[in-house]
Amino acid sequence: MVSLLEMPQAVSKSPTRDAAQLPAQQNDTAMIEIDRVKFAYGTNTVLHDVTLNVPPKAVTAFIGPSGCGKTTLLRCINRMNDLVDGAAITQGAIRIQGTDINTPGLDVVELRRRVGMVFQKSNPFPKSIYDNIAYGLRIAGVTKRSLIDEAVEKSLRASALWDEVKDRLNVSGYGLSGGQQQRLCIARALAVEPEIILMDEPCSALDPIATAKVEELIHHLKQHYTIVIVTHNMQQAGRVSDNTAFFYLGRLIEFADTRKIFSNPSQKQTEDYITGRFG
Amino acid sequence: MTSVRPHLRRSRIIERIAFWAFRIATYIVLAFATYIFLDIGIKGARTVFTTTAPFVNTTFLFDRPQTLYVFEHEGQKMTLGDTDFRAWKETHGEPAVDPTTVAYSAGGIWPCIVGTALLVVGSMVLALFVGISSAIYLSEYSRNGRFIKLVRIAILNLAGVPSIVFGLFGFGLFVIFFGWNVSLLAGWFTLGLMILPAIITASEESLRAVPQGLREGSLALGATKWQTIRKNVLPYALPGILTSSILGIARVAGETAPIMFTAAYAMRDEMPWQVSRASDFVFQGVMALPYHIYVVSSKIPQNEYTERVQYGAAFVFLALVMLIALTSIVLREKSRSRLSW
Amino acid sequence: MPVLAESPPMVPPRTRSLVSTSGAEQAIKAFFGGNALVALLVLALITVFLFREGFGFFGQNLNNLRLYRSAGLEYVDFIRVEAEKHSELTRALNDLRLRQFQKMQIEGVAPEQANASLATFDEFATAFSDTSEPLNGLVSDLSEQASALKEQLFAQAEAGATAGAPPVERDAALAVLRAGTQQYDQAVSGVSTGVDQLLSTAPPLPEAKLQQTFDKWKQRARDYVAQLPAAGEKLRAWSPDTPVPWYRAISAFLFGHDWITASFWQDWYGIRPLLVGSIMVSLVALFFAVPLGVASAVYVSEIASRHEKRIIKPYIEFISAIPSVVLGFFGIAVVGTAVRAISELPMFSWVSFFPISERLNVFTAGLLLALMAVPTIFTLAEDALRNVPRGFKEASYALGANRLQTIARVLVPASLSGIVSAILLGLGRVIGETMVVLLCAGNRIDIPDFTQGLGAFFQPVHTMTGIIAQEMGEVVRGSIHYRALFMVGLVLFTITLLINYFAQKLVARYRMSIG
Ligand SMILES: Nc1ncnc2c1ncn2[C@@H]1O[C@H](COP(=O)(O)OP(=O)(O)OP(=O)(O)O)[C@@H](O)[C@H]1O
Ligand SMILES: [Mg+2]
Repeated sequence: MVSLLEMPQAVSKSPTRDAAQLPAQQNDTAMIEIDRVKFAYGTNTVLHDVTLNVPPKAVTAFIGPSGCGKTTLLRCINRMNDLVDGAAITQGAIRIQGTDINTPGLDVVELRRRVGMVFQKSNPFPKSIYDNIAYGLRIAGVTKRSLIDEAVEKSLRASALWDEVKDRLNVSGYGLSGGQQQRLCIARALAVEPEIILMDEPCSALDPIATAKVEELIHHLKQHYTIVIVTHNMQQAGRVSDNTAFFYLGRLIEFADTRKIFSNPSQKQTEDYITGRFG
Repeated sequence: MTSVRPHLRRSRIIERIAFWAFRIATYIVLAFATYIFLDIGIKGARTVFTTTAPFVNTTFLFDRPQTLYVFEHEGQKMTLGDTDFRAWKETHGEPAVDPTTVAYSAGGIWPCIVGTALLVVGSMVLALFVGISSAIYLSEYSRNGRFIKLVRIAILNLAGVPSIVFGLFGFGLFVIFFGWNVSLLAGWFTLGLMILPAIITASEESLRAVPQGLREGSLALGATKWQTIRKNVLPYALPGILTSSILGIARVAGETAPIMFTAAYAMRDEMPWQVSRASDFVFQGVMALPYHIYVVSSKIPQNEYTERVQYGAAFVFLALVMLIALTSIVLREKSRSRLSW
Repeated sequence: MPVLAESPPMVPPRTRSLVSTSGAEQAIKAFFGGNALVALLVLALITVFLFREGFGFFGQNLNNLRLYRSAGLEYVDFIRVEAEKHSELTRALNDLRLRQFQKMQIEGVAPEQANASLATFDEFATAFSDTSEPLNGLVSDLSEQASALKEQLFAQAEAGATAGAPPVERDAALAVLRAGTQQYDQAVSGVSTGVDQLLSTAPPLPEAKLQQTFDKWKQRARDYVAQLPAAGEKLRAWSPDTPVPWYRAISAFLFGHDWITASFWQDWYGIRPLLVGSIMVSLVALFFAVPLGVASAVYVSEIASRHEKRIIKPYIEFISAIPSVVLGFFGIAVVGTAVRAISELPMFSWVSFFPISERLNVFTAGLLLALMAVPTIFTLAEDALRNVPRGFKEASYALGANRLQTIARVLVPASLSGIVSAILLGLGRVIGETMVVLLCAGNRIDIPDFTQGLGAFFQPVHTMTGIIAQEMGEVVRGSIHYRALFMVGLVLFTITLLINYFAQKLVARYRMSIG
């Protein structure tokens, strides 16, 4: 059995293009730079001065009590918040490989193709399992059936769903259980081979076995992808992530190596939250 | 427990009586409507169907309206349509007593059927094209600002404006101001505009019923907005749009007031395709079933000679409109059970 | 498991740079936006156009009213009013006689005998009718003069722009007209002496109750005579040059009780008879549709079995698709006749205004409109009832309430604003409906006689929608009549818009209150 470790570099990165496209401010250590970001829904500011560098090829976890702005920040990274009227970054910038994602004229579609997302609430399309996964490829212009077949299988295997659904790829994605749906959504995101994957509580609807599968998957994926995961599950954050960011009331309280956060947090609030004293 | 307390029993009786009252009220409505269907169905069927093959009265369905001549000849009562009467005169000469004439009561309603079909098709094409496009814009592209909210309220309210007001407007603008006269074109625009707010509102509602998650899921995969709409929003909104459109067809076909003075003639001898120039096609008025029913029920008396055309036309029209409405209701029930988020 | 490592990258190489905007996307957005704009513009145009065509009415109506005064038509109408009051008294007499005659018939008196016994009364009636001769004569003389003057003034105004029109000798003509004041005084004295004389010799009526009415009538006649000189004062005070204030054009439209068009004398565009007609028809429709619609909504949402529900709901929705012209035809062919036949049944003989004389009347039209309103009310009210959160209902059951109590105390109050808005939308539909009222309301432009009480609802009326449908085809573009119809349309537009607006507001509030 060949593990995902041997997956090739999924994203073709020609050095020339990178050089041409991503300007000087490139930060070698950060895939995503979140730079003093302030974010507001209308007049309601929900993120205050968040600064944070997400390293490449690693898992970064966002933790914090409900309503502290984790989802909001995550959705800023692939500009999903564009869909919310009146929501905007009011200050600061988010850069991916050095490019400010809010540069006027930037192609959001291309951005989102590079930054995949798995939503808090699983949202498979009311199409067959096969079509759900093929969707991203088809819209990217892949028409060759064999390529799509291959990608579907690969992504389903990667998300540990293949064995459960391989005989019914043509049934609706709605026919799956909640956990399976969530893994389908992960497979769907993997199929287009993004560079970054944002996961918003991907396991909130899953049973422990499925959760374990997803965690294992994340563990493998980080070889090739930069992963940001929001979770309410401390153990999970401890298990899967390399770095952890703790948010409280829209502020980044602490961001450090996961082991450090869990063993020896520098902030009192962090400690209280992790040990379950509030939140 | 041995006995029900008396006040409980009383309230049970009251409940029973009240439920019967509700039931009777409901069935009164159903009975009244059923009576209408039966009355028109039975009396109209006498005109429309025949006992011999092909079992439908082809004269009535596929002929034009004619004046009926009633007279006595050699002790026999004759009732002849215009054409027949002329032929009869060729052989028999003028009847001894001047015949009584009853307008519209002979022949059929073919031009009305054709005219109504033309009006419906044209106005629906117009309304659906503009209406669905507008709905897509409003629901998918526009920012939810105060202006758009205002637009939405305005459209919603315009949907309740009486059809006669649209007729008035169409008459003033298209017929007179633009000088299109009574014409198909004026009718298309008037009917199309009348139904437009309803189409926009219903289509937008269907579009909004598609969960936001589907849009986000698609966009997050790097789909463009249009790809998202085309592949992941429209297909799921389509059943809803379709049912409301079909209901719109039923309404457009059923309205009389807006076409009375924009598109409909009480009587016209040529069929719509009998125009000298192709460009005249849209500038001709047509006969229309609902207007014909209005004319034959208000401009000629109710008697044995007129019942044929009155009930016949009402039957055909009712059957057509109800068929469309039924399609829409059945479609909706189907799609309701198929798609639920 | 296949070797994933062997598969080549699936997503095609990204050729597009991160910094670019798609032209096609922009074009698509512009296309939809353009369509939305067109829709919006056209719908706005309707409103603007209605207003544009409608508001011209007021200017024209003001001219119409000014001409009415300056040509002396108003003056003549002062006298005409008195003459008409007189003939009304005569009509009342005839009516009295008819009732007396019927009474005698019921009592079994032979017709000849009855006529004979009423001979003196007939004489009296004829004599009374004759006393109006001088007044009537005066009116018809003056009418001719005033009409002629109006014609001339009108022609002059038309030709005014081109000039060179022969000047109208208005003052001379008016002087002739105003000599009518003197004649009126003479006529009045003639009438009063005549009537006084007659009243003192009035014959009695055999029926005591009718005699009472007759006595009342005599009092009316005396009052009439007494107020005649007042009109003379009005005539003296009248001046053709008193300016007609601008707001008269509006108030005459909104409150005028005559809608008279294409008349040789004077056109009046008062919306009141039409408004009253529309309202009465709607009242009848709601009278039936509200209980039936709400009751069936309650029945279907709370009481009916699943099986019944599956049939009744689509069926009622199906009813809403019946074309109104078919309903109208059914009204003419069946309902009108049936209503009249029922009113002729002996079991209803106790109803004072039965049997009815017109089969097409407010009631007939209202009954059919009720059938149109029921589906609207039903659908929306059922919706409102169904959307009451389950918890409310369950809480009520848990307290030991039975189903009826739950419906009456919990469900209906909780969905009340939804139900009210359903009723409002039903009203909107009814008031804007054209074909049924055009075919079945009788089309008599007159405010019904409310002295008959509920009988007024069995009289023919005309409605706002009906008048547009009936008269629009025949008007000249830009004429005052054309614009008056637009004004009626505008009133209709405003009313329905208001109704809709409030209905939606209510629904919004309802949605908020139940979360
Ligand atoms: N679409 C929106 N419009 C307005 N305010 C919003 C919107 N979405 C979220 N918020 C507000 O922003 C704040 C942060 O919300 P966010 O969803 O980011 O929290 P979260 O950390 O993801 O919480 P959870 O753990 O419950 O998912 C909350 O106070 C929320 O009320
Ligand atoms: Mg969240």
